[in-house]
Amino acid sequence: MAPAEPADRSARLAALLGRVALGDQRAFEALYGQTASHLYGVALRIVREPSLAEEILQEAYVSVWHHAGRYDAARSQPVTWLTSIVRNRCLDHLRRRDLDTVTLSAEEDDEPAFDVADEGLTPAELLLRGAEARSVRECVEGLEAGPRQAIALAFFQGLSHAELAAHMKEPLGTIKSWVRRGLDRLKRCLDSAGYQR
Amino acid sequence: MDLSHPDRRERLDALAAQYALGTLRGQARDRFTKAARSDPVVAAAAHAWETSLASLAEAVPAVAPPPRVWTGIAARLGLRGAGQAGLSWWQRLGFWRGFALASFAAALVLSLVQLMSPAVLPAESLVVVLAGPDARPALIATATRGDAMLTVKAVGDVRPAAGRAFELWALPEGGAPKSLGVLPPVGVAKVALPAPSGEALARVPALAVSLEPPGGSPTGQPTGPVLYTGKVERFY
Repeated sequence: MAPAEPADRSARLAALLGRVALGDQRAFEALYGQTASHLYGVALRIVREPSLAEEILQEAYVSVWHHAGRYDAARSQPVTWLTSIVRNRCLDHLRRRDLDTVTLSAEEDDEPAFDVADEGLTPAELLLRGAEARSVRECVEGLEAGPRQAIALAFFQGLSHAELAAHMKEPLGTIKSWVRRGLDRLKRCLDSAGYQR
Repeated sequence: MDLSHPDRRERLDALAAQYALGTLRGQARDRFTKAARSDPVVAAAAHAWETSLASLAEAVPAVAPPPRVWTGIAARLGLRGAGQAGLSWWQRLGFWRGFALASFAAALVLSLVQLMSPAVLPAESLVVVLAGPDARPALIATATRGDAMLTVKAVGDVRPAAGRAFELWALPEGGAPKSLGVLPPVGVAKVALPAPSGEALARVPALAVSLEPPGGSPTGQPTGPVLYTGKVERFY
């Protein structure tokens, strides 16, 4: 299948969501066919456990079937909307799992779980790869190494501040400040570049 | 905490950023999610950040999920199995169940109309009783086969939420919904059709009404919730 222009793809997905809101099963299947691989990739990277990622994907599409009418095409791109649903569910699951396990401490060293679903690209590389719009890429490149790494790990692997501290072997305060400063800087840069979507 | 207050803007923006990035966790995340549901200012801040970070998510390599994921979704939703996947959504059970009740209502309305005055219902006409999920008639659309005009009447005090509008849709066989126009908030609407109704609605088994911004859907497809649907009953 040839990759469609992003604008075409967005329009097509928005039309499918419109039909899903009307209870159109075929549109729902088509929507699944066109978005499931991307969303599964996102979920897998964050929860790093195929069975959990599958469960999250199922929950997310069940929710989409029931709430497609809430999608507002004037406010967001369909993929952004769908990705938010999946990411939020991933974070909910991580939190539930965190409650069941011992709290991570900064002393813990080996973190074998982190290299699952890596496919050769580190989160920091993904961050740059994702920043395809030139202004976004420049803004990401403008971040210092620490904040960039922290933001990438948080975004792509769903790490909390405490987990970032453990993984990057830095004090929690440093991590929080990196994330906050990094986001501030990213935002200012994106704003000044006139980046909207 | 009133996050929408001007003094809180900076704090709100920081929280929205952490929310979108995913580092806002636990009860703080719950509180923020709750605030975003009730406060459009909070929702807009979260949305702005989600949008800013969205292009980053596109870099994640796609991974095809196993087929059991779809099977599980279809089972949870009671969708038809793979063998019937080609069936049109008109054939979905739930959809027709709603229609069966609405059709009964349509027959009732029709007989009442006929009792009142033969002139109200010319021989060749079509009637659509649009009902919500509870099958209570909300709007009634009628047209004479040869006229390019649909008359839509609200049943009782049916009106859109403040600042929103009803938009009427034709649901053609196997095609995307087609807007027939935005309905005025109250009373009787005359909706112009592109051709005489017998022709314009020939391959349209049903109509629907969705809730949209005042000028109607900005996308040409329903964007708000679909409130009412009804089968097109042809009396010719």
